[in-house]
Amino acid sequence: MKLTTSQWLGLSLLVGLMAFAVLGSVFTPYTVAQQDLNSVMTPPSLTHWLGTDHFGRSMLSRMAHAVGLSFALSLVCVLTSSLIGTAFGVWAVWGGKKVDNALSVAVNVLLALPGLVVVLLFAAIAPGSFLVLYLAISLVQWVEYFRVVRAITQNVIQSPARQSSQMMGFGRWYQFKRHIWPAISPSVFTLAAFGGANAILTMASLGFVSVGIQPPLAELGLMSVALFPYYSEAPWLLAQPLVVIALLILGFHLLAGKRA
Amino acid sequence: MSVLLKLIDVAVYVGDRCLLAPISLELTQGQPLTILGKTGSGKSLLAQAIMGLLPTALRVSGEIHVYGKRMTCRERQQLWGRELVMLPQEPWHSLDPIMKCVDQVTEVYQCVKGQNKQDALRSAEEALYQVGLSHIGNKRPDELSGGMAQRLAIAAATAGGATVILADEPTKGLDVSRRDGIVRLLQSRSRFGSLLTITHDVTVARQLGGALLVMKDGHLVEKGETMVVLDSPQDDYTRALIAAEPSVWTDIAPHSQKHDTDDILVVDQLKVARGGRTLFDGLSFSIKQGDVIGVVGDSGCGKSTLGDALLHLVTPLSGRIARLNQAAKPHQWLKLYQDPPSAFSASVSLGQLLDDIIQLHDIDRTRVAPLMAKLSLPNGILERNCLAVSGGELQRFSILRALLLDPVFLFADEPTSRLDPITAKEVTTLLVSLASEAGCAVLLVSHDAALIRKTCHQVISL
Repeated sequence: MKLTTSQWLGLSLLVGLMAFAVLGSVFTPYTVAQQDLNSVMTPPSLTHWLGTDHFGRSMLSRMAHAVGLSFALSLVCVLTSSLIGTAFGVWAVWGGKKVDNALSVAVNVLLALPGLVVVLLFAAIAPGSFLVLYLAISLVQWVEYFRVVRAITQNVIQSPARQSSQMMGFGRWYQFKRHIWPAISPSVFTLAAFGGANAILTMASLGFVSVGIQPPLAELGLMSVALFPYYSEAPWLLAQPLVVIALLILGFHLLAGKRA
Repeated sequence: MSVLLKLIDVAVYVGDRCLLAPISLELTQGQPLTILGKTGSGKSLLAQAIMGLLPTALRVSGEIHVYGKRMTCRERQQLWGRELVMLPQEPWHSLDPIMKCVDQVTEVYQCVKGQNKQDALRSAEEALYQVGLSHIGNKRPDELSGGMAQRLAIAAATAGGATVILADEPTKGLDVSRRDGIVRLLQSRSRFGSLLTITHDVTVARQLGGALLVMKDGHLVEKGETMVVLDSPQDDYTRALIAAEPSVWTDIAPHSQKHDTDDILVVDQLKVARGGRTLFDGLSFSIKQGDVIGVVGDSGCGKSTLGDALLHLVTPLSGRIARLNQAAKPHQWLKLYQDPPSAFSASVSLGQLLDDIIQLHDIDRTRVAPLMAKLSLPNGILERNCLAVSGGELQRFSILRALLLDPVFLFADEPTSRLDPITAKEVTTLLVSLASEAGCAVLLVSHDAALIRKTCHQVISL
């Protein structure tokens, strides 16, 4: 797969943020919850490179952890939902009318509910659980893959090329590898990039309304809402999670490219 | 006789590469001009250059005069519909799929000629009557056959009263009977102006008469009166084109057919329907080992569906299809497709596809090279994918792929209808000779009755 310049830009942005998250969490001398009430809301300095928050916790450690958490969530969500969505999408076409109908009913039910509401529902049942957040977001996101993959696969299944491979005795895995995957992969990659961005946004939104990850863990949405009261005294603190969210989303969207 | 259209050294370039070498021609009133050549010889580029339809990446040089006046691209576009019109290659793509047929013609009278609604409708009905389509005015284009759609497209295109008609492959993919009808219609339409036809069909050129240009690879090969050129061609290429017409082929059906061979397939009282319409009923025949069976019939009569039914790709309504050759495995019943590129995965090289088959069925790798030589396939095509190879090469490659599997039955669904005549002849000859050499029965479907007559032992008419 050849990447365009803007896709390279998006990828390097994401890799840079990932490196910040990893290096930041490994090398920082301060833990996420370590308070120092003698130095609260300090501007960036040599001891605290990104300053400290209203409890005197190191912003660098917290930002690194928050970014790492966002990446981890978006990665597992994208992997799970793309795998499930693609598998079900192909199965719906290949498995015959009954399978297709059953899956379509399930998907229509999910589509009828606004995605964020479903996630909010799950998150409210078990606040602060990373696992539940992950399940809820994946549950919402696989539908998109399913619909796109199913539509494309329907054409490929009808194509003479696949029919000819089948007649020559090739098995289903080969037909998937040679015919279906090349047709769906560009769309799946694009969806995955947008999906990654959406997962991060969803988690941040839940953090913002305090049903997502719970304190004292650092999470971008949670940090935005916690630092919001101090926006006039310490604007550099509130800016950090906001800028990082924007950069993350920008990175994923650039990576998605122009192909739809 | 006035000169309607005159080209002086018109050439087409992309960047510095010449796609169409400088060509000069004159189109005079009442004297049709036909450009003959195979696909990719630059015929369509010339028509697009005349119309002013070329993509902006291409550059045109030379002068184009219309009615004795040199005109720029923009000025020629002003003449569209009223003076100058081009008939599209595939009528389906130029008709509105959701509009009633009569309305599509009415619009022309209304918008181009400025008639009011009632007059336009009356004119349109009259026009449809003239092309023999008065009964389909209320249908949509998808309910029409290829020939009807082409006639409708002609009616709509010429409704504006254009006298100079450019027809780009107007008979592509049409049955012989339909083709003759279209040619006659074009002739009558251009009676007061002139007709420039682009075709690869020698018969069409012969029917149109007038003057003829033969083109090859963007160059003019031969020029003259149609009858003179076709009866005593001077150039080798022209001769090859004429010899590729199925009606003048020598019989290529293999003679060495043994009479004591076994039946491999028996069809008894077969009835097949598609889309709720019964295509044929009570069809019975048997196929012997190594037979070449032709299937002819008008388009839409179920020729391809018959082959698909024999391969179990379509379930028949009733009747019996018995495969008697028990030793043959399912993958030895194969199909060759009409449109070669659509029958291959474009994601990997052809060589990879070949390797896949060799691996799957444990085929002796040394068989490939001699077979490729027989099919005159260059080694280089194995590194390319199916989109980077010409249609003829690709169809020969699919024959190669099929033969490697030692087929007992091959269903060739119009295998050459998308190829130009010279390549078509090559491919058909190779297919028939190699298949019978390998003892494989072939079911050959074609809309060209002459081709079937020359190649098959047994003909099924639907």
